[in-house]
Amino acid sequence: MTDVHVVGVGMTRFGKHPDKDATDLGAAALLEAVADAGIDPRIIESAYVGHVFQGMVTGQRILAQVGLAGLPLSNVENACSSGATAIREASLAIRAGENDVVVAVGTEHLTSKFSGALTPDPSDPEAAVGATMPGVYAMRATRYMEDHGMTREQLALIPVKNKANAARNPLAHFRKEITVADVLESRPIADPLNLHDCSPVTDGAAAVIVMSDRAAKKYANGRGVRLAASALRSGSVDVTPTSMTFEPLTWATAQDAYERAGIGPDEVDFAEVHDCFSIAEVLRVEGLGLFEQGSYPWAVERGEADINGRLPINPSGGLIGKGHPLGGTGVAQVVELVRQLRGEAGDRQIEGAKVGLAHCRGGKAVGIEGAACTVQILIR
Amino acid sequence: MTTTVIEESFRPGELEVRPDGTGNLLGSRCRSCGAHFFPTREACAGCLSQDLDAVKFSTEGVLYTYSVVRQSTPAFEVPYAIGYVDFPEGVRIMGQIAGLEFDEITIGMPMTLSLEPFGENEEGDPLTGYRFRPAEVTND
Repeated sequence: MTDVHVVGVGMTRFGKHPDKDATDLGAAALLEAVADAGIDPRIIESAYVGHVFQGMVTGQRILAQVGLAGLPLSNVENACSSGATAIREASLAIRAGENDVVVAVGTEHLTSKFSGALTPDPSDPEAAVGATMPGVYAMRATRYMEDHGMTREQLALIPVKNKANAARNPLAHFRKEITVADVLESRPIADPLNLHDCSPVTDGAAAVIVMSDRAAKKYANGRGVRLAASALRSGSVDVTPTSMTFEPLTWATAQDAYERAGIGPDEVDFAEVHDCFSIAEVLRVEGLGLFEQGSYPWAVERGEADINGRLPINPSGGLIGKGHPLGGTGVAQVVELVRQLRGEAGDRQIEGAKVGLAHCRGGKAVGIEGAACTVQILIR
Repeated sequence: MTTTVIEESFRPGELEVRPDGTGNLLGSRCRSCGAHFFPTREACAGCLSQDLDAVKFSTEGVLYTYSVVRQSTPAFEVPYAIGYVDFPEGVRIMGQIAGLEFDEITIGMPMTLSLEPFGENEEGDPLTGYRFRPAEVTND
């Protein structure tokens, strides 16, 4: 079976784009990925386009805008994992031998669809009693503090770190460093989480071009990065209530990815994880096995997750700093991994990084721990 | 504390409301392995049996965690407290918390199900939903 290689990447600036829509952003990202790969776009054989609130056939609109209408295309929705799922689908088309060159796009114009707190689908019993996404994560933070003794100040160090990284990322939504005091004094959203603990409502898109061994040999010019694993799981129903401060879904998806890539978590050099909220980063990295359960807030305090630390987490700024255009997020994580692994990450470059991991988790449905989770591992 | 409520349940599949104002949260119990689920399921997540009974859950449980929501959708007036309560059957159910100052809410508190006016239907008639209230009043 062929390996899968990411050969071209593109990404719009993340932020507010009042003069554009999800199609414009997706088309711009796709064209940049084509230019980055240095290919004739006519060699692309199929497309997968992830988005959440952009309506029917946004993917077809994007391809029509760039002259590629006619390709086999699937629009992919898996909440905040939509873009990452699009990459997985693209990788499966390659592994199955069906295609040699596939594009995956993730896009979202969220500012025109939402303001304030995202909520689960209104049909959900928890949404019906007032659950918001920040509220659910806030409850997990409350419990983590109870179980592990994490302080509010320790939790605030995560947005401080991620916004410092974002300040070095020219495509990030936020470009300003903040302090612990800024986090603690920002507007309360769902106790203990304040505004700076939350990822923003962001517009943006990203695209990657993936290839088989055969195509990469011909077109990659040494710039390809191997997609060693692209794992996907959906959350299972709890038979009995389990701890909300650990993530079996993240753990299980990560095990699939480590097994496929033939590595363990100790071989990961850096990771982009789904920090939709400050507490989420804690739960992700511990669920991925990158840090021991109950240890991450103290590791952050010691600087271990900084860009120059032992195991940098969210060097791009993460969802909190770079922004969170739902469908765009998972693809943008892989763009960051490729840029880091190629040594093209500028002021936020991690020295000597060879193995990067991207983790997305999205969606809320009553009785299951999480809806969709992806873990992708890229190796240079 | 609660007035008598006889209006329609806000979600009849999940909350039974009786004419005397009492009621229960509803779910499924697996006849094969005994696991309980909220909301109702078509098959057991533990053993995949499709032989499930409808079940009414206990009205008393323990608060697993909570938060005070200060930004929400227009359907809810902020701030309000939400929490997960663990019931003895082995289900964890989310609801709003009432009857406590926000700073009195504590993990591990015994809570009781309380049926209360909760929103309205498309015709504008009031509906009955539920909140969790502290099971015991502390007198100090």
